[in-house]
Amino acid sequence: MPLIAKVGRRRFKVRLLIGAITSILWIGVALHLFPVWWMFTTSLKPAREIFEFPPSLWPKSPSFICYKLIFELSAGTWAGGNIRVLDYPIYVYIKNSIIMAGGIMCLQIPFTALMGYALSKLYSSRWSRIVFLFCIGTLMIPGEVSLIPSYLILRHFPFPTKHIPVIPFTNILFPHYNFLDSYWAVILPGMYSAFNVLLFKGFFDGIPTELVNAARLDGASELGIIRRIIIPVSKPVFAVVTYFSFSSAWNQFMWPLIVIRNNKLMPLSVILYKFQFALTQAPPTGKTPEEQRLMAAGVGYNGLMALSFIESIPVFIMFLIFREQLMTGIKLRGFK
Amino acid sequence: MAIKKIAKVSHNKEEKGLRFTRRMAWIFGAPSIVAQSIFGWFPILVAFVVAFQKFHIVKPCTYTGWDNFAFLLPSNNPLTTLVFRNTLYYAALSLALTFLIPILIAILLMEMKKSVIRVMMILWFIPVASMAGIIIWKYFYNTQYGLFNGILVSLGLPTLRWLNDSRIVMLCLVLPGLIMYGPGLIYIATLQSIPDELYEAAELEGVSFWQKIWHITLPRIRPIMAMMLILAIIGSLQIFEQPFVMTTGGPNYATYTVVYYIFDLAFQNLLYGKATALAIILFFVIMALVVIQRKYFRENIDV
Repeated sequence: MPLIAKVGRRRFKVRLLIGAITSILWIGVALHLFPVWWMFTTSLKPAREIFEFPPSLWPKSPSFICYKLIFELSAGTWAGGNIRVLDYPIYVYIKNSIIMAGGIMCLQIPFTALMGYALSKLYSSRWSRIVFLFCIGTLMIPGEVSLIPSYLILRHFPFPTKHIPVIPFTNILFPHYNFLDSYWAVILPGMYSAFNVLLFKGFFDGIPTELVNAARLDGASELGIIRRIIIPVSKPVFAVVTYFSFSSAWNQFMWPLIVIRNNKLMPLSVILYKFQFALTQAPPTGKTPEEQRLMAAGVGYNGLMALSFIESIPVFIMFLIFREQLMTGIKLRGFK
Repeated sequence: MAIKKIAKVSHNKEEKGLRFTRRMAWIFGAPSIVAQSIFGWFPILVAFVVAFQKFHIVKPCTYTGWDNFAFLLPSNNPLTTLVFRNTLYYAALSLALTFLIPILIAILLMEMKKSVIRVMMILWFIPVASMAGIIIWKYFYNTQYGLFNGILVSLGLPTLRWLNDSRIVMLCLVLPGLIMYGPGLIYIATLQSIPDELYEAAELEGVSFWQKIWHITLPRIRPIMAMMLILAIIGSLQIFEQPFVMTTGGPNYATYTVVYYIFDLAFQNLLYGKATALAIILFFVIMALVVIQRKYFRENIDV
């Protein structure tokens, strides 16, 4: 409690101030939690309650039927006819999202951690500055500039053109791969993250260089230093980076939408969008037949909210796991 | 003599060690440098080639000079002005309404007891997947079954058309940001690193509540504020998902943004060159804003 003086806390004016701050914060908490709560309670409502107006704040007859419907509906094993909003069962998409986010994390975190360590403790100060700018320079450039080139590069990796050059003195084309419509299309560009380097370097800068130098003089190898000295004290920053890189990978939307056209490989965020689109995009003449059948089956906004809730669970779990470290792991110094 | 020799030897050893660490630096940095080269800088270089080309599906691409940029000139293409106006409007609105709130929240949260901070931290920053968040808000705004119109009806007020009303639709897109305090986490982390002694010393000198915020707290979080402001400017100018999902650019192009237009040009019409040209223009607009921001909002603290 740094701002309010320790003396005179009993004074009426001061107590009023503390009370005001506390209530502002709790109102903010309530506002923030309301959408989450709304999402959950709506997903428990049966279909007919969805169309009540004004909507009820708590379902009159809560049930988990909607979650069951969501899984059945997408699997196409529907009793009331063949409504297939999604071509594959939901767990296929959950698996896709997990593979993509997992793949990105497995590559991104070790790569950027090593880079952050090298920048903070290994490079000479001149090279450190140059490499650092090389590493974070892209943070300032909007991703859309490289959107189409990245797409073209992934199509004939690593060549951005359709016409692959020939290996000199032979007539064999250079090896090239089409990564579009595969998990790699999402994982490869996510291999590196400038923001992670910023976080890692910021944290490692706080570890005294003398400590590292002393270990080096004692004959420790660089990997040994990382394992014995750096990692034990850097748990918070690893937690922060894990949380940030997981949630950004999980939330990716535009990039998977572009590079993945195969319905079987889409991540949950794209599927949620498509499901939402099928459900709510009413043409001017009224509801689409698809929508009418869906609603007759008992899936409307409740199903949408159930799917949203399912998508939010992993992010939420990650947050709960790492919440303690999130406070201590962030040591940023601006872009310096 | 002997001491000199030892000093020389150890100096040599240090030199050798230093050279070794420099080499290790490149080995450790290699994966990131390679990845950053291929997916960070190389596409940007390619962008400056693609922007001057016309893309054909089968035939080789042809160079067309400045044609792609000419296509986007406001005099030739009224959409360009429209999308930039919408995007700048969104950016201004979202920065004005949502930039300061997380800072204020973070400063106020520090006043609470440690145990309260722990509980509130969890509740404050409980995350929702971003697509889920957008869809919840779209449901709130629904004119037929949505919560907001429900509240208005039960209060006996006339209902609004929310996302279908071109006058308030931009505000509707900004509103979710008001109660998402993600950046607050970074401010809290920074605020915690300010030593309590500073405040205690100030207290002995009889410094008031506001003076403490102004002279102790703000200077310490200023570099972070500058960085977050840059990231917020860049992020808000790249707004895409919210209009794409909530309004599909409507009503009547009121939420058609630059990135949305880039997306449509490239992946609906396969006009890769024109889309990239627009992306490059966006890049220069962002750069200009960042330069202005850095001129008026220095990161250096002079305390």
